[in-house]
Amino acid sequence: MSPPPATIVATGTFFDGLSARPHPVTLRLGSRLEITGSGIREDWRLYDIRASETEPPTMRLALAGSPTRVEFTDEALSLGIEARCPDLRIDDEGRGGMLRLVLWSIAAGISVLLVAIYGVPAAAAIIAPLVPQEVETRFGAAVDGQVVSLLGDPPLCDGAAGKAVLDRLVTRMTEGAVLPGPLVVSVRRHTMANALTLPGARVIVLSDLIEKANTPDEFAGVLAHEIGHVAHRDPTQSVITAGGVSFLLSLILGDLTGSTVIVGVGQAAIAAGYSRNAERAADAYGVAMMLRAGGDGAALATILERIDKDAEKEGSPTGFLRSHPYTKERAATIRRLAGARRPDTGILSNEDWQALKGICSARTSKPGDAKPETPGK
Amino acid sequence: MSGAPLSRKGVIAFDRQTKGLTGIVVKGFLLSLITFGIYRFWYITNLRRYFWSRTVVAGSPGEYTGRGKELFLGFLVALAILVPVYLVLFAISFAVPSLAALAGPISFIFLFFLGQYAVYRGRRYRASRTLWRGIRLSQDGSAITYVGLALGWWLLTIVTLGIAFPWMRASLERYRINHTLIGESRMASTATGGMIVKPWLLLYVVGLGPLLISVLAFLIANKFSIPSDMMIPDPHKPGQLIFNPVYAGTPLARYGTVVGIVSAIFIPLAVLLFPYYRARETRAFMNAAALGASRLHSSLRARQFYWPYIIYFLTLIGFFVVFAIVVGIAMVIVASGGGDGGTFSGMHWLILLLIVPLYLAMLLAFAVLAVRIITVRLWRAVTDSTTFENVEALDAVLASSRRTASGLNEGLADALDVGGAIEIGF
Ligand SMILES: [Zn+2]
Repeated sequence: MSPPPATIVATGTFFDGLSARPHPVTLRLGSRLEITGSGIREDWRLYDIRASETEPPTMRLALAGSPTRVEFTDEALSLGIEARCPDLRIDDEGRGGMLRLVLWSIAAGISVLLVAIYGVPAAAAIIAPLVPQEVETRFGAAVDGQVVSLLGDPPLCDGAAGKAVLDRLVTRMTEGAVLPGPLVVSVRRHTMANALTLPGARVIVLSDLIEKANTPDEFAGVLAHEIGHVAHRDPTQSVITAGGVSFLLSLILGDLTGSTVIVGVGQAAIAAGYSRNAERAADAYGVAMMLRAGGDGAALATILERIDKDAEKEGSPTGFLRSHPYTKERAATIRRLAGARRPDTGILSNEDWQALKGICSARTSKPGDAKPETPGK
Repeated sequence: MSGAPLSRKGVIAFDRQTKGLTGIVVKGFLLSLITFGIYRFWYITNLRRYFWSRTVVAGSPGEYTGRGKELFLGFLVALAILVPVYLVLFAISFAVPSLAALAGPISFIFLFFLGQYAVYRGRRYRASRTLWRGIRLSQDGSAITYVGLALGWWLLTIVTLGIAFPWMRASLERYRINHTLIGESRMASTATGGMIVKPWLLLYVVGLGPLLISVLAFLIANKFSIPSDMMIPDPHKPGQLIFNPVYAGTPLARYGTVVGIVSAIFIPLAVLLFPYYRARETRAFMNAAALGASRLHSSLRARQFYWPYIIYFLTLIGFFVVFAIVVGIAMVIVASGGGDGGTFSGMHWLILLLIVPLYLAMLLAFAVLAVRIITVRLWRAVTDSTTFENVEALDAVLASSRRTASGLNEGLADALDVGGAIEIGF
């Protein structure tokens, strides 16, 4: 400071930091700030003066690291202070701190997202085969109850004749297959043409799927595909993935009340499909199983295409955006794997097929009010 | 020219213009958006610093010295505690399905405990970061005791069907205020349940009473046994429940309808009466608070708690109308421009690109309006209606040499999402 700065004088109120008693003072700003009053004689270095936020024209100054405060409303003095005190306002957000914070947060957020998208499924694929069978079986029973209630408690279909046919079919198809635990296939009355695989070797068939199947081989094809998921432990993997992802996302969003985690697991069991690779693997497994059991391997492709076409007709957005080109590709692969059809095959006799169709007894649901979805799940 | 003109002595006042507040909200909203919400700690800090510094108590503005960094670190520590707890809960429900049904109630009780704990600790942090005339506020007492108190009173409130609610509020208020210090001077509250029992009874009799009576009548008429198949799945809409037609015409149906109608009328009524109750409670509790020989006096009117909400909702309706018109125009453009239907044309994408920023802008506008209209007006309603009696006694407040609370105190509150940035009242 080459030219000596003009001295600015104003009155204010001083608080000594020891009591709340206000002391009327005179402030004198030169190359230092002098505060004088009755019994008060303060001399502050300009570098040590800090301003805390106030509503203009009130200004409040503090000596760095001390509880003393001086308050005044003189505008000339506050302009002088602003001009002469270099460290008047130091805070978190100054000096590039905020930019660093923003960049680091974005980096952290993106890395958590990447972990959620790639890391968690990879970890789930490693963890899933390590889950002990009994734990998985017990967990499957719990998920079964949850899924059934999410579907709106559809009644169990257990017509004796139909059930016997289904059990015989399942036994024949799974002969020699290596599955994690005994397979449990149940049928429930529902207006959705779908089948769900749950952890613990559980398959829930929704009755409209049997309704939509033109031949027993089509139905058995879908069943074989689901058994493929069971053999590859896809449902366990998907539940672990869903739990992990929703846990990570709730970390980001700061909601740690656990609600997202619980909701996420339930929804994953119903809505979220498996990866395309998992579907392709289950298709291949299903075709092989059908051929081994003496059925028509290509029937799965036929029913996939039919249900997909129905979905498209109804104009459902998932049908249009997701499954359409994907189904074509899947069907072509299935047909290639199945090879030419042997003429005398057919997985069930006509009587057996009729018995199976009657598993939901006389009151079968009307496909008219159905909202079909792909049996890809 | 004194910093404390005589005319403002004994008065608590809040800034009239609130200049610069919109900037804080806009910056806070946008930065929180791009930082996955992490900026919210700095945003909350900025908001508090603004509100504290604009509140002038007996001539001197308040001062908030908290830092965003402290809140963020507190949040990380809370995560470190909560994450293992959740993992264990998750693993238990995974491995022992019979306990899975209990996981809900257990975590609810656990979260209630933790929530009350966090509320008290968060208040301690805020007090320790608040200064007035260079004198630091603080809070002592034990968060565990507070949790025990809250739990006991909540149980009593549930058992008495809500009658004990005012006494619970008063008891917790006394605990909080009696453990609040300004420097060395301890605040004292003489709040009692009797002070607020009238407004509570009004809310209770008008809003909750008919609901309770109808539910009781429903239970008595059905001899306290409700058939498990009262609600059955809708055969036409999977996942939805309907009333079982088997019970049509029975007392079950008749009283069930009464409960439905009563709740449709009286639950909204109870919600409408709630600001009235809050205003009365705030006034009573303010009047019951004292610092040494200096007492607080509040002349808060219930309508001051209604206007902010009314203005806010009218503004929201205005915004929705504008938004609907804009979207409508966009639809017309799409309908006339893109004739090929089916596929997504460039026009569709253009509209979509316009709608998304418009939607974000609307959320931003709502955030600004919520702070500027609701928070500011409620805050001002409380501050401007409060005065100090015997204000000279405040001068006798002495600073304390207590240790200040760390930011870890509030992290839990944020992780559990309890306690807002700005709480109205003490
Ligand atoms: Zn599948």
